[in-house]
Amino acid sequence: MQWITIFKKELVEDWRNFKWVWVPLVFIIICIMDPLSTYYLPQILDAVGGVPEGTVIEGPELGPTEAIMFSLTEISMLGVLVIVAISMAVIAGERKSGVAELVLVKPVSYFTYISAKWAAKLLLVFTAYLIGMLTSWYYVSLLFGDLSASQFIGLFLFYFIWLIFVVTLTFLYNTVVKIPGLVLTLSIITIMAMSAINQIFSFRMPWFPNSISEHITTMLAEGAIPNELWGAAGITLGLSVILLVASNFILKTKEMAD
Amino acid sequence: MTVIEVEKLTKAFKGKPIVKGLDFQLEKGRCVALLGPNGAGKTTTLRMLSGLLKPTSGIITFSGSQKGEDIRKYIGYLPQYPVFHPWMTGKEFLVYVGQLAHLTKQEAAEKADQLLKKVAIYGSRNQRIGKYSGGMKQRLGIAQAMIHSPQLLMLDEPVSSLDPIGRREVLTLMEELKTQTTVLFSTHILGDAEEICDDLLLMHQGEILESGSIDALRQRHQSAKFEIALRGDSATYLETLHALSSVQDVFQEKGEVHVVVEDIELARKEILTKVLEEDWPLEKLALSKTTLEDLFMKVVKK
Repeated sequence: MQWITIFKKELVEDWRNFKWVWVPLVFIIICIMDPLSTYYLPQILDAVGGVPEGTVIEGPELGPTEAIMFSLTEISMLGVLVIVAISMAVIAGERKSGVAELVLVKPVSYFTYISAKWAAKLLLVFTAYLIGMLTSWYYVSLLFGDLSASQFIGLFLFYFIWLIFVVTLTFLYNTVVKIPGLVLTLSIITIMAMSAINQIFSFRMPWFPNSISEHITTMLAEGAIPNELWGAAGITLGLSVILLVASNFILKTKEMAD
Repeated sequence: MTVIEVEKLTKAFKGKPIVKGLDFQLEKGRCVALLGPNGAGKTTTLRMLSGLLKPTSGIITFSGSQKGEDIRKYIGYLPQYPVFHPWMTGKEFLVYVGQLAHLTKQEAAEKADQLLKKVAIYGSRNQRIGKYSGGMKQRLGIAQAMIHSPQLLMLDEPVSSLDPIGRREVLTLMEELKTQTTVLFSTHILGDAEEICDDLLLMHQGEILESGSIDALRQRHQSAKFEIALRGDSATYLETLHALSSVQDVFQEKGEVHVVVEDIELARKEILTKVLEEDWPLEKLALSKTTLEDLFMKVVKK
């Protein structure tokens, strides 16, 4: 029951500060920005003054799978930034302001406190991501050709696992430090470092969390789910669980007042 | 019956001791003031009792609880500067923390209404807390601490930040609360403690220097004292007075010399003899009793 109480309180809070409005809107923009601008590039170039006579812009002929991957690429940068930004104060902010002092003297277990907030934030991220991707799917189908529902669902769900990891990582830092800006910085640095590691060692670590999007590309091209995708998804989920449990232990070692 | 027992409670921050080995127990149904100047370690002590800080060493036993049980459900706590979610209304916040304290939504709502009336902010229950004044927040803070009918209510400086009217109101409220539960509150103002409390824990530099019921303390530390006023600089007479055999202590306050004595008769004789012999420019010589204020000042200045 306490869990539901905190979960609901988080949803109401994000509703009252309009996160349930602007986060989905931002995700729509992030998701459709690249597919649309790519499709309309010739018109855009014309409108801004055109290119010199005789210029030939040659690009690969884009199919729907490439186009929708543009959306994921944008989410992996801007989307992740937005996700970290809306989660950076979820515990750190309450600890910094002192509300945690009132809430955690009530008989609430720290794990309830963390996991209910985590689930509420994840629901917001899921909804925004779903709306953004559905919009992108619509435009991609319209402009680049059909993308089957099974392909869409596959890429949507597998990539969501990466987003779960991003949210959980931010929660971990929320328990480590109590300055929201620092939570943001640490989360972004970690994600960037992981991405660098992934690029350098990807041939040795096919199951590294950051490789999920590469495997999704393979999945869309081949029409079957590669083993590496299952592996990477499993590792990422497992890591998320570990981070969530670790957050609980870290918060327990912290004192709620100084 | 004791509600809570504290043994050798210590707390150090980065090796610097703030609370140094407290031993005390609180009796059920009493109102106890934790009195001490700023920096005495009062807040740290309350935070340890409420579970917000972990003691460096020492044991806190809550008598009503089973071993290993979460004692937070028996405790209501109001921090010195309570912070709420400004986007919630007063009532929403009470229902929220009530549910966190294992009340059902309906129980929490009923209890919230009841408390909002008691702390006299029922009219603003549906206003966002962000718009509350300092006094209203303090009262909401007391209500949230009472929401689950705790066996021990701890208030950290509940009146220090309030204006005279708000202070009076909160004191009256506490007067009422102490009939319902055991109350422990910290303050640096002796008057507040004397006004509403039964017992006193006098704390200074991390230690409890005196404890007991206010009456007992008053008696124990009540000794006779002469207040002497002299023309000119009284400081020159301090040493002479201190040297008298009947005199225990001499201190200066508001230009007067206070002479704490053991034997009134002997002291009167000795002092008057000095006055006559050395022809002191005496303006006033009065007999009075030491107050708790004197004790407090003495302890703090030590």
